[in-house]
Amino acid sequence: MSLKKFSELFGDLDSINSTNNKIEVLKNYFLSNDPIDNSWAIYLLTGKSNKRFISGRYLKNLFSQIYEYPQWLIDTCYLKVGDSAEVITLLLKNKTKSRKKKLSNISLNELLSGTIPALSKLNEEQKNLEIKNLWETLPEDNHLIFNKILTGTFRVGVSVGLITKSISKLINIDEEIISHRLMGDFKPSIDSYKFLINKDINLQELNSKPFPFLLANTIEDKIFKNSINDFQFEWKYDGIRMQLIKRSGNVSLWTRGQELVNESFPELVEKMSHIKDDFVLDGELLVWNFKEQIAFDFSLLQKRINRKSPTRSIQIKYPIIFIAYDLLEINGKDIREIKLENRRIELEKYFSKWQNKTENNITDIFKICDLIFPKDWPDALTYKEKSRENNTEGLIIKKKTSIYSSGRKKGIWWKYKVDPMQLDAVLIYAKGGSGRRAGLYTDYSFALWKDKELIKFASAYSGLTNIEIKELDKWIRKNTIEKFGPVRSLKPEMVFEISFEKIQISKRHKSGIAVRFPRITKWRKDKKINDADSLENAYELMKKIS
Amino acid sequence: MRTKQEYLIRYKDGNLYCELADIWIDPSKPVKKALITHAHFDHFTFGCEEYISTKETAMLLKERVGDNIKIKTFEYGEEFKINGINISFHPSGHILGSSQIRFIFAEEKWLISGDFKLQKDQTCKQYEIVKTDYLISECTFGLPIFKWDESNKIANDISKWINNSPEKTSLLFCYSLGKAQRLLNEINQTNFKGNIYSHGSIHKMNNSYRELGIDIKDTIKIENKKKIDELKGSLILLPPSLSKGTYLKNFKNIQTAFASGWMSIRALRKRSGYDKGFAISDHADWDGILEVVKKSEAKNVFFHHGDSEALSKYLVEKESTNVLLFGK
Repeated sequence: MSLKKFSELFGDLDSINSTNNKIEVLKNYFLSNDPIDNSWAIYLLTGKSNKRFISGRYLKNLFSQIYEYPQWLIDTCYLKVGDSAEVITLLLKNKTKSRKKKLSNISLNELLSGTIPALSKLNEEQKNLEIKNLWETLPEDNHLIFNKILTGTFRVGVSVGLITKSISKLINIDEEIISHRLMGDFKPSIDSYKFLINKDINLQELNSKPFPFLLANTIEDKIFKNSINDFQFEWKYDGIRMQLIKRSGNVSLWTRGQELVNESFPELVEKMSHIKDDFVLDGELLVWNFKEQIAFDFSLLQKRINRKSPTRSIQIKYPIIFIAYDLLEINGKDIREIKLENRRIELEKYFSKWQNKTENNITDIFKICDLIFPKDWPDALTYKEKSRENNTEGLIIKKKTSIYSSGRKKGIWWKYKVDPMQLDAVLIYAKGGSGRRAGLYTDYSFALWKDKELIKFASAYSGLTNIEIKELDKWIRKNTIEKFGPVRSLKPEMVFEISFEKIQISKRHKSGIAVRFPRITKWRKDKKINDADSLENAYELMKKIS
Repeated sequence: MRTKQEYLIRYKDGNLYCELADIWIDPSKPVKKALITHAHFDHFTFGCEEYISTKETAMLLKERVGDNIKIKTFEYGEEFKINGINISFHPSGHILGSSQIRFIFAEEKWLISGDFKLQKDQTCKQYEIVKTDYLISECTFGLPIFKWDESNKIANDISKWINNSPEKTSLLFCYSLGKAQRLLNEINQTNFKGNIYSHGSIHKMNNSYRELGIDIKDTIKIENKKKIDELKGSLILLPPSLSKGTYLKNFKNIQTAFASGWMSIRALRKRSGYDKGFAISDHADWDGILEVVKKSEAKNVFFHHGDSEALSKYLVEKESTNVLLFGK
């Protein structure tokens, strides 16, 4: 019922690694708190609140002023801690063992709908006084959350998916439905929480549910024994896999991670709603180079993924396309049991109908995937090798007679990737570059997991664009743990996809492996360090190749 | 003003050295005569001809490295003379037997703080304020972000952490000598009533503490093949060296934590790889260091062991303390 409880929740979530335990903790939290605080908790945990009321710099200056600490000392502390809200929190421990009566039970609601927004209405002097007063009256273990909310830097290691799962478990209703309810403008209130945990499901909610996704397996040699004519060949796009659903007139866009992303791609939702038929399409979302008719790099797509309600200019700058490769349901009829080759015929049929009969031109945002027709397997290999030229990752090979089942079912869909030697690794060291890159940190070392430790496995300095280099450089300076001459050890936070040509055993390296021509092929901002590969994955890769 | 060479105690080859007595303090390489402030291994090296320490430190060292070393011992406060210099040990509150060392020569007093803390610790003697002209102090946690909570609060947090996961085995990593015994003593006073196991290295130190008259609760020595069910809901104390590698495979369904002052910083906590961190330290925090500097009445201060830059600058700017730099 209070900021205190929420602070405890934060502490728990921060120190639990197991997903199941996190869900348990969240469930218990929701059970023991009132609806209004729960709605605020969900608001904070799902990252819907990142409004910055006060900047970190302002807070540090204020602290320096009030408690007469030199600014340089606070800056030195910041280097060690790496987060303004936390530095202030730690420094406050020294200062607020004060005599003032504590506000022991301020509710989240009071704080977030009253106290904090009210700050912006005050003049500077009043504002400073009020913050000082809050620092001195809030119990010590509430300071971190308070400072983080103030500076708009509240983050904790739980995904929206995890929150969704917890609520779903709490009331025993499918995750997709909770996800749907959480979508959109979730305004914290008693009603919004009650709506979220309502056990009655309405028809529209039911209608938005995606089918379980069918996934491709890594190619196996035995496939080459089959006739090439048994398979359908498509390019393997490097975008976001999605189901685009229109039922009873409502369009919903679902990622494979069960996230409803209508808000990130409103232009697609709008366009598709003009189609007269209802449908469920399986496909890939990409940022598309319409001039050359190829996909832009994944990094551009990242500019769209996490941005809700993108402005018109963002929509123009990063134009998206949905490339459908399968039709799963049409006008209420589930056709997943029909053979792929026949589903493809249906897909083509409806696409040409929609192209001709829809008022707005849909082809500037929607198309169906082109098929490739290799003569034989060597020819397929040639296509695969060429896939980098059109910014695809290789081929997807699908059995023409297969039905659309779910999961990673063997022998139905295969992925034939152009460069199988890739690992996602964590950036741990950076070194200053020279020449054109002087003054920037451009030589990087990457690590893989071994149990709970990150072990360095490769160094690379090519592959990032100049803009990315600058961005990363800025990040490196802010997230340095230690400096050893020109080398900085970094907060393990950034994940990169590292590609290489060869992998072999090496006694000279701590990791026990050496790779040839390592290079950065992608900045995986979508991944957390726990998603990075392990040394074990590297050994597996080595086994597979030899 | 004197040059660095003329100081009674100075840095030589990275160690504290008193030339007049030809004696080293906690040397990291074999020398003729070594004063040892306490029995942690980063303050001890094999191969010195003679060691001098407190009685407790000597006993703990022998327990750890064998009887094959020559140690002369003195009581706290007992003065002894080497080459006309009066030397004495004084409690530093770091671990059992730990000491500050005072030198008096030609009416000039020098004090080496050793590793120290001011916080209460029932397993060793409280830090003694010693007046001095020159102070050589450690500053492991020399930034104001370090402010320790009372140790009973931490112990209660630990107890809560274990009690909240009765289905799990809780592994608490901590230094085997000093920290482990302090934690045992504190946890014993909380409402955690389950079994406590300790690793052999910790178990041995517990016994030594007991022999030296410190009341440490009996724990069960952890054997490699314990039944998993038996360990549910209990606490196991282990040295940090075992946190990486295969040792943990001996257990199922565990939660891990590390007890160290560094755990007060979230980024370090996250990076440590432990599920949880408890910020408890046997070193002084920022306020502790400032207090010792002040109460020692030292006119000149040196810092070593840690990031001294900010602390020195602060003392010079705010307290007008004369902070000197050691030539390393």
